[in-house]
Amino acid sequence: MKTAFFRSLLCASACTIAAASSICAIAGPVKRKPVPTVPTLDYLRDVRPILATNCFTCHGQDEKKRQAGLRLDIKEAAFARLASGSRAVTPGKLAESSLVARVLDHGALQMPPAASGKHLMPSEIQTLKLWVQQGAPYAPHWAFVKPIRPGIPVLPPALKAHVTTPIDAFLLKELARNSIPPAPLADKFTLIRRLTLDLTGLPPTVAEVKAFIGDKSADAYGRLVNRLLASPHFGEKWARPWLDLARYADSAGYGSDPLRPNLWPYRDWVINAYNKNLPYDQFLIDQIAGDLLPAPTEEQKIATAFHRNTMTNTEGGTDREEFRTAAIKDRAVTTMQAVMGVTLGCAQCHSHKFDPITNKEFYRMVAVFNQTTDNDQPNEAPTLPVVAELQKQRHSDLIREIAVLKCGPQSPEVTAEIAAKQKAADAALKPVQLPVMQELAADKRRKSFVLTLGNFLMRGDEVSPGIPAAFSGSTKDVGTRLDLARWLTNRENPLTARVSINRIWAGLFGTGLVETEEDFGLQGTLPSNPQLLDWLSMEFMSPSHGGTAWDVKRIIKLIVSSTAYRQSSVVTPLALEKDPRDRMLSRYPRRRLAAENLRDQALAISGLLTPTIGGPSVFPAQPGGLWQAAFNGERNYPTSTGADKYRRGLYTFWRRTVPPPNMAAFDAPSREICTFRRFATNTPLQALVTMNDPVYVEMAQAMARRLVREGGSTPASRITYGLQLALSRPPSAAQVKTLTDLFNAQCAAYSTAQNADAAKKLASDPLGPIPADLKASPAELAALTIACNVILNMDGVLTVH
Amino acid sequence: MAFEIEKIHSMTRRTFFGNTGLGIGAMALNALMSGSDAGAQPLDQNGHKGPMAPRPPMHKATAKSVIYLHMSGAPPTLDMFDYKPELVKLNMQPCPDSLMKGERFAFIKGVPRMLGTPYKFAQHGQSGAYISEMLPHTAGIVDDISIVRSMSTDQFNHAPAELFMFTGNALAGNGAAMGSWLTYGLGSVNQNLPGFVVLISGGTDPTGGKSLWSSSFLPSVYQGVQCRSTGDPILYLTDPAGMSRQTRRESLNALDKLNELEAKEYGDPETRTRIEQYELAYRMQMAVPDVMDISRENQQTLDMYGARPGAGSFANNCLLARRLVEQGVRYVQLYDWGWDIHGTGPGDDLMNAFPSKCKQMDQPAAALVKDLKQRGLLDSTLVVWGGEFGRTPMNEARGGSKFLGRDHHPHCYSVWMAGGGIKPGQVYGETDEFGYRIVKDKMTIRDLQATILDRMGIDAYRLSYKYQGLNYRLIGPTSEATLHKDLFV
Repeated sequence: MKTAFFRSLLCASACTIAAASSICAIAGPVKRKPVPTVPTLDYLRDVRPILATNCFTCHGQDEKKRQAGLRLDIKEAAFARLASGSRAVTPGKLAESSLVARVLDHGALQMPPAASGKHLMPSEIQTLKLWVQQGAPYAPHWAFVKPIRPGIPVLPPALKAHVTTPIDAFLLKELARNSIPPAPLADKFTLIRRLTLDLTGLPPTVAEVKAFIGDKSADAYGRLVNRLLASPHFGEKWARPWLDLARYADSAGYGSDPLRPNLWPYRDWVINAYNKNLPYDQFLIDQIAGDLLPAPTEEQKIATAFHRNTMTNTEGGTDREEFRTAAIKDRAVTTMQAVMGVTLGCAQCHSHKFDPITNKEFYRMVAVFNQTTDNDQPNEAPTLPVVAELQKQRHSDLIREIAVLKCGPQSPEVTAEIAAKQKAADAALKPVQLPVMQELAADKRRKSFVLTLGNFLMRGDEVSPGIPAAFSGSTKDVGTRLDLARWLTNRENPLTARVSINRIWAGLFGTGLVETEEDFGLQGTLPSNPQLLDWLSMEFMSPSHGGTAWDVKRIIKLIVSSTAYRQSSVVTPLALEKDPRDRMLSRYPRRRLAAENLRDQALAISGLLTPTIGGPSVFPAQPGGLWQAAFNGERNYPTSTGADKYRRGLYTFWRRTVPPPNMAAFDAPSREICTFRRFATNTPLQALVTMNDPVYVEMAQAMARRLVREGGSTPASRITYGLQLALSRPPSAAQVKTLTDLFNAQCAAYSTAQNADAAKKLASDPLGPIPADLKASPAELAALTIACNVILNMDGVLTVH
Repeated sequence: MAFEIEKIHSMTRRTFFGNTGLGIGAMALNALMSGSDAGAQPLDQNGHKGPMAPRPPMHKATAKSVIYLHMSGAPPTLDMFDYKPELVKLNMQPCPDSLMKGERFAFIKGVPRMLGTPYKFAQHGQSGAYISEMLPHTAGIVDDISIVRSMSTDQFNHAPAELFMFTGNALAGNGAAMGSWLTYGLGSVNQNLPGFVVLISGGTDPTGGKSLWSSSFLPSVYQGVQCRSTGDPILYLTDPAGMSRQTRRESLNALDKLNELEAKEYGDPETRTRIEQYELAYRMQMAVPDVMDISRENQQTLDMYGARPGAGSFANNCLLARRLVEQGVRYVQLYDWGWDIHGTGPGDDLMNAFPSKCKQMDQPAAALVKDLKQRGLLDSTLVVWGGEFGRTPMNEARGGSKFLGRDHHPHCYSVWMAGGGIKPGQVYGETDEFGYRIVKDKMTIRDLQATILDRMGIDAYRLSYKYQGLNYRLIGPTSEATLHKDLFV
């Protein structure tokens, strides 16, 4: 791993060369060569990566692999006298540090040994020597030390005008340090589309755009933010990343992957939690240990389905205990991953080589989860009978209809109808059996053990529940899930706030301040702006004025109010050169919409969207035969009909072994395990989805009909309206002309007698027959469908910018 | 680092920044690299100079394409290639202590019984290699293949083992697929077809899932593309009903124009990458159905493979693999599911499931080698056959099952290779008398990966990609990968 230090050294030498050649060229006054200054090393940035890559495997935390009794990851151990009598590191003294001699050796004593395949670069050896000379300073890993609120940077007056929130001060300071000027603000059209997509996952309507543009008040933007945060679609948008983490799916996973049509009340709980702005600490407590709270509400019990998203193996001949063990390990791993950004997985076989988690500590974490009654049963027991709000509403609607019928004239038909409705009303109240967490009775509690190499059959030492010492601080023993949840949400916890703030940040800027959102450990990336991360984390944990701490909507409002969020996404050559990956946010990062939101947006633009929130998952059309791939279990995909065809992406039935292909193409995960980040790709297969997937074709057809109804009577006015729907701004003349030309040519082509059939198909397959009242010929509709298909594929539509 | 690799790096870097040379990204980069913004080369209509353009290998290549026939689930090669008369003698005897000590198994509990192969073996061809009666067709090509009886792996569960084999990392999402590495290093000859194609048979995806053909940290253009033998060959390949190719072209022209406007206004290099992806999709729409249509083959060829147009079979996929490499596809990966012969029931046992899997596999795999040979393609195509790990010489008898089967066994198993610079007609490596451990010429997964890359003209140690501060390679960070030159022509 090349350190930033060496990059700067390289850079410095390149500059020296450039300076020298310019001297020759100009032959001007001789400039004094700058005296080379010895850089002060930063342990975490410059030294630790070298030690971690080359030394920690044998001289680190893993006691089983440790050689010569030496560990270099801890200062005290590295400085101590070894059995051989020497010391690996004596601060300030090269000659008394065997580490230095060993890395310089070319013979039998060489470190790292040739057989390890590891090799130190001369520059790396130089760094290690320098580090010893400078007193071999160690530093604890930044993320394991609890954040303190940093002061807000003071900026030169010229930059102050760009500051709307303290966030901007932190970011502008870095930009100024790198001589990158602030970007201009984005225009209001761009802003309303960006904000509406980011907060609700849907595009703004034409009326909403008009209202915002027309609102000339100083607080127009603030009011827009408030409106969107209050929208019930906010929860749908923000639930999705959490559902990736919670590995929420509608099937049990493993080989036969049986369907699990009874978990959706949990998904709705998450949506609702975001909508009602449940404080983040309570959000976590309810999910991890809602059942253990004193007098838990039904909602709190529903929340515990979070950890019933683990996979169940229902194949014959499998060992229940084996897959119960797999599930509880997954609960420990997912909890630490999702909440604290710490990867535990490797500690199940050996002590973590990089992060301070020993093999035994891993199983102490698992022990916390080892006391629930579920044990990999095909019937998913224990379950909680849940009657969802939607069900209750359907029931009362039917009862009302029955009452109306009873008041009217009676006939055998009416009697039959009443009976049918009564039956439906009764059925509507049939509870969903939601798998939940349930603690074992006191006399049935399990013992917990270290499992050798993670194997459930190979029990080692017995362990008590607990959390890794490195994080525990002054916390007393953590015995139950509730203890764990309270510890996670305690303000002393160094990671919970940072990790969640980082995820919120990534939800608004595409990438977190810590790029490895899933790993805040020693192998993760350093934050691009550590002080900003800590400032936001402290802000998040502090009660708002008159409000609560852990207020998600408040922190989102704060971030979207920043200049950074409201800046233009135009990429300038200077910004691209100095900040190629936009880690400093020298412009708003343009990015492709997430899989679900691509679908949501296209449905909204086409007018097809069924905006119903919650309820059982649905089955929008997909290519035939895909469920045949599941080698066992359900093989027929029950395609939805009616309004359910047009629900938002997060309601699509998610079968783990066969995730919806049109969303998988856009990087949606299988939801088998906790997934933090979706890596956005850009592939020809995605182009095929949005051009040819019958679902997208249907949306283009519906959009064409919408343009005929609402977009005036000329091709140009209809195209203009279509572009406006999709881009949320008045289109340019060039855009309108390009599509109008396309429309005219296609309309002419489809108007010929021999293309009559093709026109009809393109206008109505699969959407359905052209309504009689629609004032457009099949050829016009076909040509408009083509134009709409193009609109839905425009880069500016697929991306938020 | 070698010049070629540097070139590839700069090429993919430019891809990231939009390599038409017209974008601000490309201009800025060119300015960085050459000191001016002149000299940027636009991408031509055929996509050359793009990230998939063919590139010269690092050293002389003996193969231009790879066809990898992966038997997902791990076939019991003790019943196919590695003949153990001693094991047959010990059939149903308790397993000797020496084999159990310090070992663990996925499913075996207590002291298992040894399981000699119930099938007859005989020597075949000039090489005299022992082949089981389950593989009569493979027996006919022994002199064209090299059987390696000393493969070993570190992993003994399906998904991690498959991921380790094909992405170099046992954790899903942590490694780029071998086909991605090869197309990243070498590009592909035919720009109208994906350079890395995946074909699935056996009714389900391999256990390792779609991560097995993910490009992971490599640019996504190097991702494997799954082609199906029924329905749309690639999902959503067909234009909507009522839309002609001409119409699609005209609509794409309009889309390109709109996206060009967008690229000019916002300067995001990714916009240009998107334009390229649409053009590639368009070309695929024409080229893929052509190459996937095996009904164009004559009856004799279809019979040779046992292929039947319209079926989703391994036979069809073998024939497709030949058609794809014929068209210049760089890497074709077949996954055939159903080889997990545990013996928990008739569906996965040695006496029922195994013969039926052999029947589906033997003829087409042999036909592929013969067909490539008769077309003069075998010399430039490396064919590899194998599973993700071995299976125990002991009977698994999970839960007291009466059906015969073998548990997972990472220590040794057999694979075979043919063509593309592999010495034909030899048997390489050896296991002990039970087929339990390797006694000679152990070949690791790293070795096999390095071998495949080497035959393609790539030094596995030098093919690397820098990502998040680490230098990734298919063969991982260590120096354990060794070439077994005795296998080479």
